[in-house]
Amino acid sequence: MHERSLVKNLLHQVQQIAAAEGNGAVEEICVQAGTLSGIEPFLFQTAFEDMASPILGAPCRLILEVVPLTALCNDCDHQFEVIDFKFRCPVCQADSVHVVEGDEVKLMSITVNSEEPLDGVTS
Amino acid sequence: MTRRTIIVKRDVQAKGKANAAAERERLGRRGTLVINILSSPGAGKTTLLEATARHFAGRRTMAVLVGDLETDRDAQRLAPLVPTVQLTTGGACHLELPLVQQGLTALGDPAVDFLFIENVGNLVCPASHDLAEHLRVVLVSTTEGDDKPGKYPKMFRTSQAMVITKTDLLPYLPFSVDAVTEDARQIQPQLDVLSLSALHESGVSDWCEYLEQQYQRQLAAYHEPAAK
Repeated sequence: MHERSLVKNLLHQVQQIAAAEGNGAVEEICVQAGTLSGIEPFLFQTAFEDMASPILGAPCRLILEVVPLTALCNDCDHQFEVIDFKFRCPVCQADSVHVVEGDEVKLMSITVNSEEPLDGVTS
Repeated sequence: MTRRTIIVKRDVQAKGKANAAAERERLGRRGTLVINILSSPGAGKTTLLEATARHFAGRRTMAVLVGDLETDRDAQRLAPLVPTVQLTTGGACHLELPLVQQGLTALGDPAVDFLFIENVGNLVCPASHDLAEHLRVVLVSTTEGDDKPGKYPKMFRTSQAMVITKTDLLPYLPFSVDAVTEDARQIQPQLDVLSLSALHESGVSDWCEYLEQQYQRQLAAYHEPAAK
């Protein structure tokens, strides 16, 4: 159950980005989590709902997209989805493969709502 | 009101991973091999480290950072043998790098040959946290059953070695070394597999020989001239 520490880390990064972008209210955060990212989506969502308001100062929506685990064969360059965590190339049967996507939690984008037009500050 | 979407596309753990990589480089360069030891609670991490400390006594220097939710029971067992610092997470299910670095400072950052990090007993969360280790070793005890790798794929995918412990109990248990090895290698085909009984000191010298090889390999890697 380390989702809370990851969510806290995520929210602090969001806070920094929002501050650098003019401190608008963060309305939505899009996150991608791979099937080998080590998080449980439901627990992540629950932790987010608990922690978003206290850290960001207002409620915020989380769009959590689970992405499949994808690997690339080191021998024949075939790219494939890893099913049941079997890390073997389905084409040439090589077992030397590396993960290209699906082992991380990625902050994809944040949507910020600013009270004032951002480009109308200088006069 | 202006609504804007800022594209970020960043690994949430990127900073932690970069910090871990820098610490790994620092420790590797000065000749310390960092080994992160992971398993379920009770698989025999501390017992293996006690046997390892006895084996290397007078031959190799080592220190241990031992993580638990509460108590310093493991540190009390190891401290008579090797420099040890207990890291208590206060309820957290895994160790993170800043806590490990605090522990290393508390030890006096000694330039030992082997720095062992005994992680919190848990096959789930610790898999997602890089502690600047050069070698990640997962222990599976014969009493846990041979079906564990498939249930905890991230742990086995991210490990370089699996050590099967408590092999003295094999005659009494429906545990197959072949089955657990096959299951783990579906997930991590390059996994090194060792088996031992730390309590009976059987297989411990092979384990220590394996560590010695890893140590020599790393020493060579850091002192090799850059590839042409």
